[in-house]
Amino acid sequence: MLVKLTAAIAVLVGTLVLAACGGDGGGLESGSGDTDTSDIPTAQGGEPSGELTISNWPLYIDKQTIPNFEQETGVETQYIEDINDNTEFFGKLRPQLSQGESGGRSIIIPTDWMAAKMYDLGYVQNLDKSAIPNVEENLIPSLQSPSFDPNRDYSVPWQSGMTGIIVRKDLAPDITSINDLFDPKYKGKVTMLSEMRDTVPLVMKADGVDPAEATDQDWLDAIDKIEQAAASGQVRDFTGNDYADDLTRGDVVAAIGWSGDAVQLQADNPNIEWRMPDEGCMLWTDNMEIPIGAPNTPAALAFMNYVYDPEVAADITEYVQYVSPVAGVKEILTKRDPKLANNQLIFPDEEFTADCTIQVSPEDEEGVTEAFETVLQG
Amino acid sequence: MKWLKDHALNIYAGLAVAYMLIPIGVIALFSFNNPQGRYNFTWEGFTLDHWKDPFAIEELTDALITSIELAIVATLIATALGTLIAIALVRYEFFGRKASNFLIVIPTATPEVVIGAALLSMFLLPPFVDIISLGFPSLVVAHVMFSISFVVIVVRSRLIGFDRSLEEASRDLGAGALTTFRTVTLPLLMPGIVAAGLLAFALSIDDFVISNFNSGTTVTFPLYIYGASQRGIPVEVNVLATLLFVVTAIAMAFTVWQQRRAEQLASVRPAE
Amino acid sequence: MSTVRRRLIPYGLLTPGLLWLILFFVVPMYFMARIALYEGSSTTGYEFAWNFSNFSDALSENDTQFVRSFYYSGVATVIALLIAYPLAYAIAFRGGKYKNLLLFAVVAPFFTTYLIRTLAWQTILSDESFIVNALQTIGLVADDGRVLDTSGSVIAGLTYNFLPFMILPIYASLERLDTSLIEAAKDLYSSATTAFRKVTLPLTGPGIVAGVLLTFIPASGDYINAEFLGSQNQAMIGNVIQSKYLVVTDYPAAAALSFVLLAIILILVVLYIRFAGSEALMGEEAEKA
Repeated sequence: MLVKLTAAIAVLVGTLVLAACGGDGGGLESGSGDTDTSDIPTAQGGEPSGELTISNWPLYIDKQTIPNFEQETGVETQYIEDINDNTEFFGKLRPQLSQGESGGRSIIIPTDWMAAKMYDLGYVQNLDKSAIPNVEENLIPSLQSPSFDPNRDYSVPWQSGMTGIIVRKDLAPDITSINDLFDPKYKGKVTMLSEMRDTVPLVMKADGVDPAEATDQDWLDAIDKIEQAAASGQVRDFTGNDYADDLTRGDVVAAIGWSGDAVQLQADNPNIEWRMPDEGCMLWTDNMEIPIGAPNTPAALAFMNYVYDPEVAADITEYVQYVSPVAGVKEILTKRDPKLANNQLIFPDEEFTADCTIQVSPEDEEGVTEAFETVLQG
Repeated sequence: MKWLKDHALNIYAGLAVAYMLIPIGVIALFSFNNPQGRYNFTWEGFTLDHWKDPFAIEELTDALITSIELAIVATLIATALGTLIAIALVRYEFFGRKASNFLIVIPTATPEVVIGAALLSMFLLPPFVDIISLGFPSLVVAHVMFSISFVVIVVRSRLIGFDRSLEEASRDLGAGALTTFRTVTLPLLMPGIVAAGLLAFALSIDDFVISNFNSGTTVTFPLYIYGASQRGIPVEVNVLATLLFVVTAIAMAFTVWQQRRAEQLASVRPAE
Repeated sequence: MSTVRRRLIPYGLLTPGLLWLILFFVVPMYFMARIALYEGSSTTGYEFAWNFSNFSDALSENDTQFVRSFYYSGVATVIALLIAYPLAYAIAFRGGKYKNLLLFAVVAPFFTTYLIRTLAWQTILSDESFIVNALQTIGLVADDGRVLDTSGSVIAGLTYNFLPFMILPIYASLERLDTSLIEAAKDLYSSATTAFRKVTLPLTGPGIVAGVLLTFIPASGDYINAEFLGSQNQAMIGNVIQSKYLVVTDYPAAAALSFVLLAIILILVVLYIRFAGSEALMGEEAEKA
């Protein structure tokens, strides 16, 4: 018995001793940080052919677009829905990206802040704009010049959405503000998003802090408030899209959630409704990018161009029911489905989103992220 | 009262078995659900639609096929390698036996999350990054790795209870070691090897954690479900899961029936 | 066959499989050990620095989750044992013709994907479900309480998912039991209970040991049950490792945490085997060929 215990310890110690020898630690040791922007390659356009792999969020495309694209261009397209969370996707892909590999993907579709972060780390290529004329022509004005990519050099919007409160109006009719989620009346019946840049800024807004001006301390204060609610059981859980089942079953009466989901949930349960919080919502856009080391950039650019054809964009929005970045979609959908065209969640007007804030990142990203993650892990 | 005492154990067993099968019942039940939207969480009406076309979702079907292919390849390799190891460990005394024994067991004591992460960190470094691409190849490597230990454990337990006299008889009749192995040992060992293979297959089809770390862009059945669980699992998933269950049930019933037949035939003697 | 060739046979048999394990288990662990000693952050880059504080930090920062994980898996293991033993006994001795059928019913959960059956429990244990309402009527659950997203549901999930691992080894050792020994005990005037206690139980010891280990070890590192059936207050160490690795991408911390978990499990296992006997785990002595 003692032999076995010794053997066990020997193996563990031996492994650690071996750790002293050995050379390169691999991709982790390469420094990261802001890359010299003149070094960033530009993805070239050209005649599309061959194979294409796209990574996107689940259920974010209609059933016809990919087959139609394949037919029109002859490009064999593999569409993978493996993005469930920006940070998790980044974490999964990062080791390869730091080596200049994209794991075979030619298009990835992260949210604004992650799109920017990846570019700053040198993991994303610039785009050959001559290959995407439809984008130049049809991108709606409000998305043409975001702060992180003023010339849209490397990102092309896919869909936009709003984060607000999704409510069971039969069980919690009076919830209209994020602060209502902290009401003890709803203890254990409320969920928040695990996406830090949705949850924390909303809590800040409810307390009168503008996320765009917030200091790191403001972020940490909001996280403290959330932490107390989490530990006490006021907040039942931190979710991704899985607030959907909680709401449908009635386990949860109010969740911080995304606009497109609510439209879908209503089909299964008309009592579910997305509400614009009193203090405003968060606005975000998911963006198509071409990662470093991506194969077949001509096909990737051709795809980006394809989905900016208003007819195609209308197909996508009709199914996905988020906000389209392509001009002309509303007109097309008005003829197909007037109810959809008049839905504020899909075609919001200026007034509707007056108090909404575009997602931002804190300055001490790492410290704040770690503080938030600690809350999520109990 | 006595009836209760006598049958308490049986009643208990019945309840326990029912408990084991409840979730399967729920899964099967919801495969007949007819949800209006994307989400399959509340009962909305009975329909056979999804059973009529269970392969409607291309990505899902592809994922299932990938999982099955992966499981077959991994099982074949792991069973072969594991059986050889088991034979060596049980039948031979040699230097390094205890250490090998130990090495075989350690992976079963390691949490999957640790194995998965460790494998990923290695797959990204040269020379591995060039030889084994992250995707199907890395999955095969990972699945074989965690299956070998289980194959060894199963085959070894079968070997330990082995009746050597049949082998001795074969040797007495002049057969060489290899022939004996081929014609006597291996066939008798087959049930154990098959059991080990089935276990490896089940472990591979079901694996999520290790696959999540090492799959690259390849999507296996469990990985598809994990992604879909965030956004609403299509009813087709329930249908395929139920189908998988039924097919395995039939396969098991078949093996049992075959075994019984084999036993019956073996017991038939020519008239004296 | 010459003696030299004979002595080489076991090595020949071992090599392919062991090589695979060494290459794809031991070597990755080495790399992970190396990473555990790194210092730095994801923005500044990492460098190897014999940073042993990663290990002590891992232990001290996550002590709640460690304790919680071993508590959950410990309770789940005990409950699984209590459920599995009588069930295995019933199948082995009362199963008769239906033995294989019952065994299959017991292993059946295995053949549906882990994730789906855990998600099924989410539906079964939701606040308004039939079962939870029944439990509330009986009084086991408070009227305003819930089952889902509590430690109860996580433990229940762990128990359910690892029950087959507990049942099979116990069943195997019960099946091999020589019933004449029990008869002998009864002939010697012992009661059914005493016969069980003094004959059956000890003889099925190896099966129990194997079952306990095969349940406790994977359950300790699990994170799926906590993720789907629990809230943030039920996070287990597996959740933290997954988060640190895939979300926060703090690789040194994640690697250090993994090793600490591994070390604790090994220590617990060794202690347990010391206490319970080792044949079940390591196998018997080699037969002389």
